[in-house]
Amino acid sequence: MTLFILRSLGSRARTAISEFSYECSRRSRLSTKPNVREEGLKSETDIETYLDPLKHPDYFKVHELFTISDLFEARVHYGHKIGSLNEYMKPYIFGSRQDHLIFDLDITARHLRQALNFTAHIAYQGGIILFISRNAQMAHTVETTALDCKEFAHTRYWRGGIFTNSQCIFGATTRLPDLCIFLNTLNNILTQHTAVVEAAKMNIPSVGIVDTNCNPLLLTYPVPGNDDTPCAIELYCKLFKEAILRGKEHRQKDIDQ
Amino acid sequence: MIPIIKFVVRNSNYVSWSSSSVTANGAKVLWPSTLTVSFCTNNNDSEKKPSVKKTSKAMKAYLERARKHEEFIKKENLEYQIGKRHLANMMGEDPEFFTQEDVNKAIEYLFPSGLFEPKARPFMKPPEEVYPPQKAAEFDEAGRPYHFLFYTGKANFYKLLYEVVENINNLNKYEDRMIRKHLTPDPTQAMSMIGSQWLPQDVLEHRLVEPLHESQYAAFKLAFDRLVSHPYSYRVRDFIEEYRKPLVNQVALQQIPEPQYDENGRPYVTTTNCLRKRSWAEVTVRGAGSGKISINGQGLDYFAEIQSREQILFPLIMTKQLKNVDVEAKVIGGGPSGQAGAIRWGIAFCLRSFVDKEMIEQMRLAGLLTRDYRKPERKKPGQAGKRKKFTWKKR
Repeated sequence: MTLFILRSLGSRARTAISEFSYECSRRSRLSTKPNVREEGLKSETDIETYLDPLKHPDYFKVHELFTISDLFEARVHYGHKIGSLNEYMKPYIFGSRQDHLIFDLDITARHLRQALNFTAHIAYQGGIILFISRNAQMAHTVETTALDCKEFAHTRYWRGGIFTNSQCIFGATTRLPDLCIFLNTLNNILTQHTAVVEAAKMNIPSVGIVDTNCNPLLLTYPVPGNDDTPCAIELYCKLFKEAILRGKEHRQKDIDQ
Repeated sequence: MIPIIKFVVRNSNYVSWSSSSVTANGAKVLWPSTLTVSFCTNNNDSEKKPSVKKTSKAMKAYLERARKHEEFIKKENLEYQIGKRHLANMMGEDPEFFTQEDVNKAIEYLFPSGLFEPKARPFMKPPEEVYPPQKAAEFDEAGRPYHFLFYTGKANFYKLLYEVVENINNLNKYEDRMIRKHLTPDPTQAMSMIGSQWLPQDVLEHRLVEPLHESQYAAFKLAFDRLVSHPYSYRVRDFIEEYRKPLVNQVALQQIPEPQYDENGRPYVTTTNCLRKRSWAEVTVRGAGSGKISINGQGLDYFAEIQSREQILFPLIMTKQLKNVDVEAKVIGGGPSGQAGAIRWGIAFCLRSFVDKEMIEQMRLAGLLTRDYRKPERKKPGQAGKRKKFTWKKR
C-alpha cells in the first residue's frame, strides 16, 4: 500500500522527503517506536499506526490546512510591478495585470504544501524553528506566532554572524536553529536578509516567502507569494503555526506510547 | 566548532548513525539529532564518533557554570546573613532589626579607613549588589533555549518592547469597545508623567542583565512614550510605573533645623559660613521681632548702594516676615555685592525654620536657597587679566 502511494507520487515528492528527513533516521528519533522493517506489518488494515512518517508523502495532512481560494482571499497572488521582477521568479508568475504581476497559485500551493510538510516534520523531530521577518508592521504578529507554537523569532536588526559566529555572539557553544522560516527575505528593497546567506552557509534548511522582487535561489523551500500585505502574512503565520503544532502533537503522542 | 548536518542526497540507503538513542540502562534519551555530525558510509553498523561527545560536553560545561554561579550566590547570601547577625551582636543591637545602614555604620566604626575614595574603603553588602548579575542557563540540556527571543541576543530587552506593543494593541481594542458604547476615558485617572522620569540606562541594563546601545535605549523610551500617550494608558499603570523613576523632591530631603530659644523665650536660628565671592557672613534671625536689621552693628545704611539693600530685604519681603523678625549679621571680606549676597543667602537659609514647606519651595524656585559657588577667577601669567590678553601685534 505504501509502495503504491510512493510510486504514485512524482519523483519530486519522493526526493523532497528523502533528501532531508532520511538523514535523521528512525533509530535516533524515538527509541520506543517499533521498527517497521524488522518487525514487519502486523495487520494490513491498521497502516496508520505504524506507517513511517518519513515515507509518507503527507503524514501530517498539511494539504488540509488551506485551499487555493484561501490563498486568493488572503491576496497571496499579488506581486510587485514588472520593473522589479527578479529573473529567477519568472517560473512562478501567472501573468501581469496593469503592470502588476500575479503569482500562479497552483504553483504556490504546491510549494506551500511542501514547505508546511517539511516544517511539520522538523517539529516532529523536535527541531528548533526560527521565524525571521524584517517587516516592521508585522513583527509583532510574527513574534506572537512563534510564542504560540513555542518556537523562536527574530524580527530585529540582524547582527552579522549570529549563525556563523555564534560562539562570539552568545558566548558559548549554542545549538543553532534546525529550520529558518522567512516571512520576508528582504531587509529593504535593495538588500536580502543576511540570515538567508548565513543559513545556507551553516547548512540550515530555510523556508521562505519570496515575492517577485526576491531571490529564491538560496532558500531550500521557497514559497512564491505576497510578502507585504498583512492578511497574507497572517495567513502564512497561521499555516506554519498549525503545521508545527501538528508535528509536535504527533511527537508527544509517539513519546507517550 | 559549530556542528553541522550533512544533507546528502542518496537514492535508497540511509546514513550510519553515530549515536545510539538508548543508554545502557535502557532509559529513553532524546538526543538533539541535529547536533551530531553524520558520516556517509555504506554499512549499517553504528560507530561511536568522538565528535558527538565534544558538543554535548561543551553544553554540559555551560550548564554546569550556570548552576555553579547560582550556588555561589546562594552561599554568599547565607554568609552575609550570618555575618550581619554577628555584627549586630557585636554592636549590641537587635539582630532582627539591623538594617543595611546600621551595617555600614558598624563597619565604619570597626574598620576605620584613612582612604579618600569611598569605594576603596571596607564594606559589607548583600552579594546581589556586589557581584554583577549573570543570566541563568539560557537553554536546557537538549540545547533548546528557554526564551523565544534568544537568537536576537537581547532576549529580555526585546521581550520588553514586545510587551509594550502587546499592551498598546490591547488598549486599542479596549478603546474600540468603549467608543462603541459611547464612553470616553476617565480624565481623573489620567497618568501624570510629572515628577518622574524613565529608568536611566544603567539601571535598565542592570535590571535586564543585558548591555544596551544608545539607540536601543532611545527605542525603549520611544515605545513607552507611545504607550503613555494612549488615552487609556492608566489601565496599564502598574506596568508603566515599573519602568519609571520618581524625581526626588530636593526640599523634602533637606533637614531644616528647629529654632533655638534664648533667655527671653524668643526663637532664633544662626547660619554661619555664608559665602559669596570673597565675603564671609554669619547671620542670626530672631523671631517675634519688629523688623530690626543690624549688619556689623550698623543698620541697613551699612550698604551705600540701593541694590545691596534690596538684596537683603528681598527674602524678608517674599516670605512676608519683614515686620516679624529681627536680623543680626556679621560680615567680613569682599565688596558690597559679595557681602550683600552672603547675607541674603544667610537670611533665606534661616527663614526656612520660620516658614511653611510651600514657601520654602517657592524660595527654592526663586533661587534664594541656592549657594552661589562662583568665585573670582585668577589672573593668568602672559595675560593682562583673567581673560584679557595683551595687545596682539601682527608683526
